[in-house]
Amino acid sequence: MAESMRSSRGPSLTPQLWERFLGGERRACAQVITKVENDPDAVPEIRDRLSGRLGRAIRIGITGPPGVGKSTLTSALARGLADGGNRVGIVAVDPSSPFTGGAFMGDRIRMDALVGDDRVFMRSLASRAGQGGLAPSTAGVADVLEAFGMDRILIETVGVGQAELDVMACADIVVLVLQPSTGDAIQSLKSGIIEAADVVVVNKADLPGVEMLLQSLRFAFSLGAGRPGTNATPILATSAQASEGIGELVAELESQASDLVDSGRHREMRRARLENEIRRAIQTHLWASLERAVGASAKIRRHAEELTLSGGSPYPFIRRACAATQVCQTKEEAWQ
Amino acid sequence: MNEHPIKVVVAKPGLDGHDRGAKVVARALVEAGMEVVYLGLRQTPESIVAAAVEEDADAIGLSVLSGAHMPHFTKVKALMDTEGIGDRLLTGGGIIPTKDQETLSALGVGRLFGPGDDPSTIAEYIKERVYARRAAERN
Repeated sequence: MAESMRSSRGPSLTPQLWERFLGGERRACAQVITKVENDPDAVPEIRDRLSGRLGRAIRIGITGPPGVGKSTLTSALARGLADGGNRVGIVAVDPSSPFTGGAFMGDRIRMDALVGDDRVFMRSLASRAGQGGLAPSTAGVADVLEAFGMDRILIETVGVGQAELDVMACADIVVLVLQPSTGDAIQSLKSGIIEAADVVVVNKADLPGVEMLLQSLRFAFSLGAGRPGTNATPILATSAQASEGIGELVAELESQASDLVDSGRHREMRRARLENEIRRAIQTHLWASLERAVGASAKIRRHAEELTLSGGSPYPFIRRACAATQVCQTKEEAWQ
Repeated sequence: MNEHPIKVVVAKPGLDGHDRGAKVVARALVEAGMEVVYLGLRQTPESIVAAAVEEDADAIGLSVLSGAHMPHFTKVKALMDTEGIGDRLLTGGGIIPTKDQETLSALGVGRLFGPGDDPSTIAEYIKERVYARRAAERN
């Protein structure tokens, strides 16, 4: 396994790089993030190095439809959290083109107020293959920022619709950002993103229609539209541009953060995330073995081509492939 | 070698107040498969280089039409060197006389483009330079 997990791209992770990283050099942090983003083979070594430095930070997801002011709010929040004595990491995800692979990332335009603020480290990520509002490397990048010493990590998703829920798996607290004049009360009764919210923020509260949206949200939540099992999702109004309501939002988030830690739910979330991380890494490894052993992807493509022509069911092939792919049972002790 | 996408920070330093050209070039770079961090108007050399450090950008592209290209490019290049990213490409465009281009080139600034240049030429140039740097780092 060690062979296949060695770094193959770009300069390797030198002891000097780690020294600079641990010494707090921002450029070193940026370089480690680049590795996590671009070189899957380097991830195991990086993860080994980060361990012992993770588990304390609170990760806050900021999600919502395009154009509601997520970046401006994220910037204002970062400042508020930093003023409260936190070091703050920001991971801002913007969409990649499925056609060219390129991405236009404009979040920094809204974060001008953070320029020169050493308490904050901001990184833009293109979503690449991620389909749920985040980049595949988002959690790994947040790990790097936490190990670099950040106390709060803000994860800003791409502008999402109703069902992009990846942020739930990555964040301890999810902030759903909405703005007035975007849909009636029916929208707030639909399942999906609204159930993911730990806090709902109505941003651009200087626009008309804010009272109506607040009322319809309160109504929807009173009918149980929020996260199953919770009955009082807080709803706050802000104007990020005018810095209104930011203090209240920071206070709400900090109070939820200490509740999470005190109740043990923060640890429970970390366990769930670790479970995921382990499962995904093993799945990736098993799939890579299959690729090496039988060229699985190419075979699947060929069968799909044949089935498209013949109109047959895919299951005879699936059954054959599964039956021929037995996991060796003899070394269960290695899993202890 | 499967190259990961090139990351470019695009900015307009100084006070000149329109960024159509910068946006056109940024879009062309996205079309060419690059990940563009767009900083927009009224950036200082400090804010541009700080962003490039955090983003670990492969290249910085500056658009300068105000005539102040000499101080902007010189200052950004100097800051890149002191911040440890002097190996990254600094390029850009504007209306820049050949003599000034030569002076900047001697300081280590990359090729500069003008109004007649096709944006796809800029993308090709950035690709060539960035891939060459990455290849050198691998060896």
